[in-house]
Amino acid sequence: MSEKKAVGTRQYIATRIVQTIVVWFGIITLNFFIFRIMPGDPRGTLIAEHMPPEVVQAIALRFGLDQPIAIQFVLYIVNLFRGDLGESFSHYGQPVIETIFAFRFWNTVILMGTSILIALIVAIIMGVIAASRRDKVIDVGSTTVFLVTYSMPVFWLGLMILYYFGFILRVIPLAGTITRGIVHVNIFHYIADYLWHMTGPLVVLTLSFIGGFYLIMRDSVLDVFTQDYILAARAKGLKERAILYGHAMRNAMLPMVSVIAVNMPFLISGATITETVFSWSGLGLLTYNSDVANDWPVLQGIFLFLATVAVLSNFVADILYLYLDPRIRY
Amino acid sequence: MSVLRIEDLCTHYFLGEDQVQAVDNVTFDIAESEIFGLAGESGCGKTTAAYSIMRILPENGAIVNGRIFLDDEDVVVKTEEEMRQLRWRKVSIVFQYAMNAFNPVLRIGNQIVEVMLEKQSIDKEEATKKAKELFDEVGLEPERIRDYPHEFSGGMRQRAIIAQALAAEPRLIIADEPVTALDVIVQNKILGLLKSLQKKYQLAVLLITHDLSVVAENSDRVGIMYAGNLVEVGTTVNVFKESLHPYTYKLIGAFPSVKGPKRRLEFIPGTPPDLIRPPSGCRFHPRCPWAQDICNLEVPEYREYEKNHWVACHFAGEINFEVEP
Repeated sequence: MSEKKAVGTRQYIATRIVQTIVVWFGIITLNFFIFRIMPGDPRGTLIAEHMPPEVVQAIALRFGLDQPIAIQFVLYIVNLFRGDLGESFSHYGQPVIETIFAFRFWNTVILMGTSILIALIVAIIMGVIAASRRDKVIDVGSTTVFLVTYSMPVFWLGLMILYYFGFILRVIPLAGTITRGIVHVNIFHYIADYLWHMTGPLVVLTLSFIGGFYLIMRDSVLDVFTQDYILAARAKGLKERAILYGHAMRNAMLPMVSVIAVNMPFLISGATITETVFSWSGLGLLTYNSDVANDWPVLQGIFLFLATVAVLSNFVADILYLYLDPRIRY
Repeated sequence: MSVLRIEDLCTHYFLGEDQVQAVDNVTFDIAESEIFGLAGESGCGKTTAAYSIMRILPENGAIVNGRIFLDDEDVVVKTEEEMRQLRWRKVSIVFQYAMNAFNPVLRIGNQIVEVMLEKQSIDKEEATKKAKELFDEVGLEPERIRDYPHEFSGGMRQRAIIAQALAAEPRLIIADEPVTALDVIVQNKILGLLKSLQKKYQLAVLLITHDLSVVAENSDRVGIMYAGNLVEVGTTVNVFKESLHPYTYKLIGAFPSVKGPKRRLEFIPGTPPDLIRPPSGCRFHPRCPWAQDICNLEVPEYREYEKNHWVACHFAGEINFEVEP
């Protein structure tokens, strides 16, 4: 019996892998053409009006913009598999890979990873507590607070924090990831400086994330509480903690896996608005700047990377469910 | 000595301004190694009475009056923590919906072991061994304690539930509609199993069901409930052959019998009353063909009409059930 199950599972995983690859190819195709359909000519940013035609021609040649679209597409795919995403238009001559991954990627991952992690932990704990004390002060209180932070526009919250804590009180820096022009004594000094700069965006992002996670968790736990096996666990005279964390939480966490998977691209894309407000040099800010500068290769690279993460995280979530929920068999 | 003794139990549910008097002045007891059948139609308070014994009522339900003794310990006055320790050790329950009484994402064996570790001073290895023995005892393959609930059929799950009910060696098992969801052949097997285990371990069993044939075949004594009241209690033979309460008589008449001459099935006109505003006097009087003025005015006393045969009717023993006015 279990052997049959294993075969079914293997088949399912194989199917999902094929699906994932097909979807991914669909995305890179779309990703390539969407920029060609959009209005605006990238040469506008690269090429000044008074440039002699030879220069215009040379630049078009350098970036392959003189080729027909079909050829450009083939070149794009071939180069993609060589790990070459082209050169940035706006960061002259810099490979896109470097533009994205050199430091911006890490800035975003650290900021977003930390805020999502904190938001998740707080949301899960508070969600369980609120659900188990339904309609009590702590439930109503935390639901109200998180609904307010959830509905608050992040740019406004960011600006308020920047204004009061950065400009008036001067307890957090106004911009950047580290203090400019300062020479750090050692690595710890550097880390401390970095974390100090991260405080503002971290608080804003964490607050904006908690609400959504919290509401889903609370709802999920409340739903589990109405199940017969929770009544059975109570009848068995188990400790309140054992019921809450052993029986209710495990089941209530199942929908959270999907929520986390869906939020993974966020982790990478960064919050464009928050990064812009705090001048946090991450992928969100890069997206904004590249968009303004019509920097196709960089935007294409970011989108490609995002799509890959989205497709992969959904794949991983689907596989994880196989192990988390024994009822799921294929 | 009785294992369970309930005196004047009143359990109400609070719905906003209203109170649903789900269980009202219920008194009965269960002796050691006795099967007590509690029967009545849906919504008459059987399950509420059972949940009151274990004190696992929903949040809006409360025991408003009465006492419940388990081995002479009154559970009504116990704190939540005392009650928690007492659950499963003294009294366990076989739920109505065995389908959902196990947590779907945990192995069945672990759920049984979990309660053993909580209730008895044994280690995990011993508990697992004991769980396997219990599985064997209820007719399941011991290796299958590693299975998940969805891998069991309905009958197997019910067996597993019974194994779990025995896990902490209780004195009393409440079987709340233990076979309702099963087909008749499996029903018979499960009831047979329940009976043999009851004999072996000298368990007291509170068998709750709306199926009179299940009660008649399996109980030593029977209690009939109507609209939150216990209307008649006696030995199975007494209640079924010499019914004293009109409701009992009518209810039994509404069940087809395999033996005896063929006859038309009777039915009881009307519907069960709204328990927020139950009828005055005897709650059955609006549907009782033999009701008199007094039935509307006075609540009939629950009294021992003859030895071991209790009834709550003003005219117990005076009515000729064959003749309806």
